[in-house]
Amino acid sequence: MKKIALATIFVLILATSLIKNSTKEMEDKIFILNENIRSLKVELGEMTLDYNFLSSPDKLIEYQSKYFEKDLIKIEIMKVKKITEKNNLIHISDFIKKTNNE
Amino acid sequence: MSNKKNNFILEEYENEFSYKKSKTNLNIEFNRIAFIFFIFLLISIIYSIQLLHLGSLKKTVNKNKQTITKKNYRADIIDRNGNYLVKTVDSINVGIHPDKVIDKKHLLLMLNHIYKNKNLSEIKKKLNKKKFFYLEKNIRPQRYEELMMLGDKSISSEASLMRLYPQDNLFSHIIGQIDNDNNGISGIEKFFDKELKRINKPLKLTVDTDIQFLIREELLRFQRIFQAKGSAAVLMNVNNGEILSMVSLPDFNLNKRETIKDVNYINRITKGTYELGSVFKTFTIASGINEGLIEPDTEFFDSKKSISCGKNHNIQEYDNKMPSDLTVEQILVKSGNIGSVRIVRKVGIEKHKSFLKTIGILGKIDFDISEVGRPQAIDWYEGCKLETIAFGHGITTTILQLAKGYAIIANGGYDIKPTLIKKNLDKKIKRKKVLKNDVSKKMNSILRKVVSEGTAKLINVEGYQVGGKTGTAEQVNNKTYSNTKINTLASIFPTENPKYVLVVMLESTKNNKEYIYEYRDGSGFKLKGSPRNTAGWTSVEAAGKIIDKIGPILATKYIEN
Repeated sequence: MKKIALATIFVLILATSLIKNSTKEMEDKIFILNENIRSLKVELGEMTLDYNFLSSPDKLIEYQSKYFEKDLIKIEIMKVKKITEKNNLIHISDFIKKTNNE
Repeated sequence: MSNKKNNFILEEYENEFSYKKSKTNLNIEFNRIAFIFFIFLLISIIYSIQLLHLGSLKKTVNKNKQTITKKNYRADIIDRNGNYLVKTVDSINVGIHPDKVIDKKHLLLMLNHIYKNKNLSEIKKKLNKKKFFYLEKNIRPQRYEELMMLGDKSISSEASLMRLYPQDNLFSHIIGQIDNDNNGISGIEKFFDKELKRINKPLKLTVDTDIQFLIREELLRFQRIFQAKGSAAVLMNVNNGEILSMVSLPDFNLNKRETIKDVNYINRITKGTYELGSVFKTFTIASGINEGLIEPDTEFFDSKKSISCGKNHNIQEYDNKMPSDLTVEQILVKSGNIGSVRIVRKVGIEKHKSFLKTIGILGKIDFDISEVGRPQAIDWYEGCKLETIAFGHGITTTILQLAKGYAIIANGGYDIKPTLIKKNLDKKIKRKKVLKNDVSKKMNSILRKVVSEGTAKLINVEGYQVGGKTGTAEQVNNKTYSNTKINTLASIFPTENPKYVLVVMLESTKNNKEYIYEYRDGSGFKLKGSPRNTAGWTSVEAAGKIIDKIGPILATKYIEN
């Protein structure tokens, strides 16, 4: 009986040390991944900042006047239609509905 | 014989010995296992102690690391769509310790080589003072490298942070500024200073960059057209108080990091308090309807063109052609002063005061930036205060509070808190109803008529069911009314189920003889030159053009909201 108890304790100690060891390895991997993510996040932040600056309304208006002045036209929203499909039938309606008090 | 006897005794001893031997064997086996177990236990204890020690060490290191990072940390600020409004980037400050300088002449020569266009006489003076000073803050990497290449021990560097604003002026009054020590000194930067140093993710605002840009562009345009001293516009969701845009002009470029001392740069939405005139007539009528004293079709007969109150105070209609018999609805559509006075007299001081307090017009508003103005205290029993308040004189408030008031009237009578901070939509906030059920429905319908038939026709943008009220007030300078005007339009749309409140204010406007107005009644009629310097011909026109621009975005992008 004593032998079994001792053997169990020994196995538990061995298992604990093995688990601890593998946990440490996993922790190392997590640490490395976190560090990599951190640097990627910094890079992403900088890229997003560049993107936000280059696609800011101010810049877009500038690009429009420089490159697309004749290509882009304004569409009246009242002329925009909405297409919906119901029971294999296509229904076209106004995107903005006029009401009686318009 | 004697030898034989001896042998016998030996055998007996042998038996005894063998018994003892077996007993001793067992003991040795047990002790060995106990010993091994003890050794393992000892090793495991040492191992555990070491682990605990390492664990505690790691924690301290992490803590130290955190404090180091937090000292130079400030969270970014983004708009409701995740676009950067403010981004923190690492930066370096370089300074000189004069007491560590070995050869001053040599150092100055070297610095002169690096800073070719810089006057070094100041640096020379500072070097003589023997007190540490910064050579350059937020230095460029190339220049930092050049300085470090000098290898002079007196030159030292420190990590710092720099805030970048990709939208320059666009959100200057909202975001505010920070000082050199990473402390917020105005706007969101000041109000959320602690949070920005603590939170690990960007602070998300309710504003929309595209809408803010379009509104600012239109305001700038109309400020030029009507030569206004300043202008302001706020667009807010009437149901949850989220501010989509808040523009106050003039504004400033945050990237220039200037100290703003000119009072004209005041935040006209939150800090400036104004007498706003006839936009208050909406509150007077809503107050009467809320008290059950009037209905939109209640008639007021035989109204005079002027009435007196207090000590020699005369209240007049601004238009002598104003009919003497008007319904409540017509009083607002035609913006009648006398009609409004008759209504407020019916309501009484206490009830009207309580109504204005309920919708947040009186007192300082609780908001997300520090620059918040406090409306002037009112002596309600002085002269004819109640009567003048009925049409928006003798009472001041901020544009933000005006927007809040209109939002509560339009949204079904629910209290809201204007906010710039985007909150988690999953949490359902229970709204508090502060006005009676039918007030909104009746008021929205009247406000719609003001636009379709009354003083705000130029904002009648097709498809958006705009409702609103104009207000032209003489500006108070040195406690007396001047010729300059505050022209305001408070609008809600769509009136059938209001979602947004838009308030536009132009300060100290002038008539423009060249500007061409295009009527929105479908007639195609055009009018050259502004006939009058009133809100109806200035702020309303600006607001109409703003809705023209932002309407499609609101209708498509926020269709679900």
